[in-house]
Amino acid sequence: METVKTLDITANDLNWKIQYTPEHCTMCGSCVAACTFRAIEVAVERRATTISTARQPEPIPQHKAVPVIKRVKGLANACVGCGMCEKVCPNQAIKPVRNEDSRANILARSGGTPAKRGGRNNLIKENTLDKITVGRISQMTDPALDAERHTFDILAPFGRVLMPNELPFSNNGGELKMNASTPPVNWIYPIIFSDMSIGALSTRAWEAICMATAYLNEKHNMPVRMSSGEGGMPIQLMKSEYLKYSIIQIASGHFGWSRIVKALPQMKVDPAGILIKIGQGAKPGDGGLLPAAKVAEHIQAIRGVPKADLLSPPNHQGLYSIEESVQKMHMSLNAAFKFRVPVAIKCSASATSVSVYNNLLRDPYKICGGFFLDGIQGGTGAANEVSLDHTGHPIVSKVRDCYLAAVKQGRQGQIPLWAGGGIGMTGNAAADAFKMICLGANGVFISKLLIQLCGCVGNEHSRCNACNTGLCPTGICTQDSRLVRRLDIDKAAQNIVEYMLAFDTELRKLMAPIGNSSLPVGRSDALVTTDKAMADKLSIQYAC
Amino acid sequence: MFKINGLDHNNRMSTQELLQAIYQALAEGETEFYVNAAGQHDIGGPLWHPEGKKIKFVVTNPGQRVGSMCLDGTEIVVEGSASADVGWLNAGGRIVVRGDGGDTAGHCAASGKIYIGGRAGTRTGSLMKDDPLYSTPELWVLKNCGSFSFEFMSGGVAVICGYDSDMFESVLGDRACIGMVGGKLYFRGKASGISPKDVKVLPLDQADITYLESNMDDFLTSIKRPELKSTLTCWDEWKKVLPLPYDERPKKANIAIEAFRTKEWVQDGVFGDVCVDDYGVVGLVATGKYRQRVPLWEDARYNAPCQYNCPASIPTQLRYNLLREGKIDEAYKLVLDYSPFPGSICGSVCPNLCMDDCTRNLVDDSAQIGQLGTYSVDVAVQKTAKKTDKKVAVVGGGPAGLSAAWQLSRMGHAVTVLEASPRMGGKMEQVIPRSRLSEVTLEKELRRIEAMGVEFKTGVEVDSTKFTALRQAYDAVVVATGAHIPKVIPWPGHERIVKGLDFLKAINRGEKPAIGKRVIVIGCGNSGMDAALGAYQVGAQEVTCIDVQAPAAFAKEIAHVEELGGVLLWPVQTKEIIAEGIITQDGKLIKGDTVIITIGESPDLSFLPEDIVRERGYLKPKSNFSIGDNLFTAGDTIAPGRLVDAVGNGRQAALAVDAYLAGTTYQPEKKQKIAADKISTAYFSKCHRCEVPAANEDHVRCISCGTCRDCHMCEKSCPEKAISRELLNDSGYQYVSDSDKCIGCGICAGICPCGVWTMYKNAEPINIIKK
Repeated sequence: METVKTLDITANDLNWKIQYTPEHCTMCGSCVAACTFRAIEVAVERRATTISTARQPEPIPQHKAVPVIKRVKGLANACVGCGMCEKVCPNQAIKPVRNEDSRANILARSGGTPAKRGGRNNLIKENTLDKITVGRISQMTDPALDAERHTFDILAPFGRVLMPNELPFSNNGGELKMNASTPPVNWIYPIIFSDMSIGALSTRAWEAICMATAYLNEKHNMPVRMSSGEGGMPIQLMKSEYLKYSIIQIASGHFGWSRIVKALPQMKVDPAGILIKIGQGAKPGDGGLLPAAKVAEHIQAIRGVPKADLLSPPNHQGLYSIEESVQKMHMSLNAAFKFRVPVAIKCSASATSVSVYNNLLRDPYKICGGFFLDGIQGGTGAANEVSLDHTGHPIVSKVRDCYLAAVKQGRQGQIPLWAGGGIGMTGNAAADAFKMICLGANGVFISKLLIQLCGCVGNEHSRCNACNTGLCPTGICTQDSRLVRRLDIDKAAQNIVEYMLAFDTELRKLMAPIGNSSLPVGRSDALVTTDKAMADKLSIQYAC
Repeated sequence: MFKINGLDHNNRMSTQELLQAIYQALAEGETEFYVNAAGQHDIGGPLWHPEGKKIKFVVTNPGQRVGSMCLDGTEIVVEGSASADVGWLNAGGRIVVRGDGGDTAGHCAASGKIYIGGRAGTRTGSLMKDDPLYSTPELWVLKNCGSFSFEFMSGGVAVICGYDSDMFESVLGDRACIGMVGGKLYFRGKASGISPKDVKVLPLDQADITYLESNMDDFLTSIKRPELKSTLTCWDEWKKVLPLPYDERPKKANIAIEAFRTKEWVQDGVFGDVCVDDYGVVGLVATGKYRQRVPLWEDARYNAPCQYNCPASIPTQLRYNLLREGKIDEAYKLVLDYSPFPGSICGSVCPNLCMDDCTRNLVDDSAQIGQLGTYSVDVAVQKTAKKTDKKVAVVGGGPAGLSAAWQLSRMGHAVTVLEASPRMGGKMEQVIPRSRLSEVTLEKELRRIEAMGVEFKTGVEVDSTKFTALRQAYDAVVVATGAHIPKVIPWPGHERIVKGLDFLKAINRGEKPAIGKRVIVIGCGNSGMDAALGAYQVGAQEVTCIDVQAPAAFAKEIAHVEELGGVLLWPVQTKEIIAEGIITQDGKLIKGDTVIITIGESPDLSFLPEDIVRERGYLKPKSNFSIGDNLFTAGDTIAPGRLVDAVGNGRQAALAVDAYLAGTTYQPEKKQKIAADKISTAYFSKCHRCEVPAANEDHVRCISCGTCRDCHMCEKSCPEKAISRELLNDSGYQYVSDSDKCIGCGICAGICPCGVWTMYKNAEPINIIKK
């Protein structure tokens, strides 16, 4: 007998079990060949029984050795539930099933290191926004619009918007004359494809999103912008006209910025904006993390680093206060593009967000072109699980707080509020975006939804979430060329384009009934909720 | 003729008053109505004559919805213009507006005719339908119409003549025909913004011209503009709009990413400067280069547990494979490549570490590896033909020296073994009780060594002078003198102690050493058990074996002693030896007439030069067994060990000497044990104890860990038929996997009973980096 000891880690200790039906299995090998985690293997099972077929007991010992698919023991090869085995199985003979008695969370700290993974918060599985409905429908009171036929102005500002009295106009013989320059503002689609770095994403996944962005602009007239993430920018893109659809991000690690600076003289057009990343909703207070497994040769080249775990510190090294961050980071990045390109800042939503926003609003230099707030439901390629699940602040009320703080001062809309972190988590990005806008956001940013459109199977219920391993089964969050080849760049881009076209129609279907042909920023009268606490917190109508 | 004024001086009739006056007149049989209206709604319908006669209206200045729900049999002529919704839901009436129509003219008309002699407003013709039970509705407009015209039109015919409309960008306004699913729209002149996702714009065909031509006179006459006929009948100025049939409507957005990527996107992709990507896509299951993993057939890459555990590295799995193939002689000979004593050691006195971890233990019991050795006692081996001109002297004819001599001689060197005692064999001959090691077996195996050409010189004591001479006379000298100085601890009274080694040697010489009836043996190792057995053999009646720790002897040896009545005690710390026995540290007396000590021996190295490195009484050779120029050592001179350790050591030393003589470098043996989980024991049926075959038939139970047993399981199980068995030139074979077929599933590795196949990460580079 083979000895199994209580402390041996076996399949029933881990998050996923394999439901395997040997009588359906033809041993075609597809599941084992497809599994990137080596979570399953082929083994031979002994089927030894003694039967009797006579009219009295006459033992006939039978022995059979049959090949089967089995879970591999141990943590290192734990099944993540990605379901590729089920996807490729021609006979539905195998699939991962959740193990509700899993001990994985206790075992995951083996080696004395914190548990790490990618994905999103796994503790909060509900979407707050789903408890809100668009409850104010224009009917007899005022005409609703027709989503199909009316012209809608679906644009949001990226850049510092001045108050009318601050505009440097004078009357010059009956004609307006502009006496000084104003901060740059780009009016863009109210969704930004956000912040997944080169490195976190495979080259193909990043390019698919980039290409979808360009396609939506060029072919469908949707001025969607894509933020580069903190891993630098492709030189070829910076030299092309398509740069105008890019928002370039800078985070504390400043990865890839040497190539960005070097490319400045070769840029034919300006990028759409610059986004300073201070914090990330998925893991606030914890810095960026690109595990060494994903730092492939081309990533090393683009980022200018060796193969190693790449950490961007939780703080920008040179900044010690809000004032300094405005002075230094905003000024430097405004200056880098000669004050032609709006510069915005992205922070994790926090109990302190309103103070930060107020401070930015009071900035006399009017240099901050947007306040991006990232909530706890934001995604990440790799994080310590303790940060991912246990730090952060929900986005919905925080955006509302910031908006109402600005309203109180009559300064709403001056520094556009952009909200992210769980937008589209249940697949309904248009509804989520619309509700966030009604609560005061100028626009939203999405990321995980994009990779889900590229084939990502991860979710908030602990499925897959293996973005940190370099073993992404869909070729999205890996730099393994063999796995990247699984990703169909055209289909991925197409899925994003199609989703966005539908998104656009769906957004109109929500704008039309409340009678808004432009974005209903702050139109919280349009929303109702059956949750009293939420109604009170968000100052929206309670309904039952 | 019923005449009515909607406005009487300053009093305007309400719509209700005006319509009720009309109803009354109609009820009284009136058929002609002249309505001089003042914006009253809904004039003209739905009305019908009590006797079914035709009704005719002439209306001026109507309000909205003139002719609404108008029934067939009703004709309405509006002198001048009308307001919005002319002919709303027209159900068969003939409505002529000589001036302009308002917005939504003909909205939802489903039958009848509407003629407008001027312009029509926004949403003209929207939602027109065609009821198959009644005549097709028609809507004719002389000039143009406003935006959103013919929205959701689903039936009927509309004609926009475009007269006097050159100043407009589009005679249909902007965004015409959105949602149009049925009917036909003719227009003359410029039009733009016609919904491309709903309709197509085509030139007229003959049927269209026939229709227009045949109805044009009626229209123009009705609106009193017959003079325009020639202007409006240049058919090449006309076009028609037809809704796309359901099947032709795009259900999805027309997206062409691939074309965009190849024709318009950044050339070679945005990462084109850093990496090359042809954007080819592979499935989840791939072959060749794109497999995640590749199988490798690594025959004998890992040691079977038996081979790994054996200090002499005897690969028993190979012996059993040969037996299975019927190559019996080869199988029996194979062991001799590793040890000259398969009978004396493997089959007799060896603790058989080989059997401890035998995988077969997981099924039932270990294969009978030790016993297998006995089949090789009588096997003769051909003398090696190869002769080097090198001479090697081996000092010491025990297991280490003889093992080295055997190997060196088979390598072609001339070997002389010098033994101090009268007979060869060292401790095997001198110390091991004959009951455990048959003299006959040992003698046969010694003769086999001699037959190989090894020169035996017994009774030769090697002192330092002789040693120096040997070193000069021979190309290499192997010191294998073992350990023959018994260890004694200087307790008070230690001079009373009998040294176990001397005691056992005396017995094996055939002497009968004098001992008392009660014997105490200090040290419960195997030699302690041997001494206890010897004591019983020469007349002891009670033997007590003591040790400071748990007995190290094998269970079999202990059992033997206990069977004879021997008692083992531990932990016992000796304090003093007295005539009555042993006083222990805690003051007890263990009675004994004779005290024998067997706690090990140390080597006698006095004949070796001073400069040879020693440590704690043992030699300390380099990794190639060298202790000086042309000087090597093996066996108990290095550390105390079992007989099989000495054999293994001797063989390794021989390899080192051979390398030295050949001027090459000795590579110490690297052994890697096969991981237990690579073996599939499930193939093997549990054997009932009574069914266990003889040791030389035990190939039926041997699994062949780590070495291919040529069972073809992999070849037959591979789902892609990628594995084939290839014959090699030297009569061997190998299994290979064809990378063009293999998907890297690992079935071969998973089902191989022997663990020969291993899956490795596919290391074939995919060069995407641009250098």
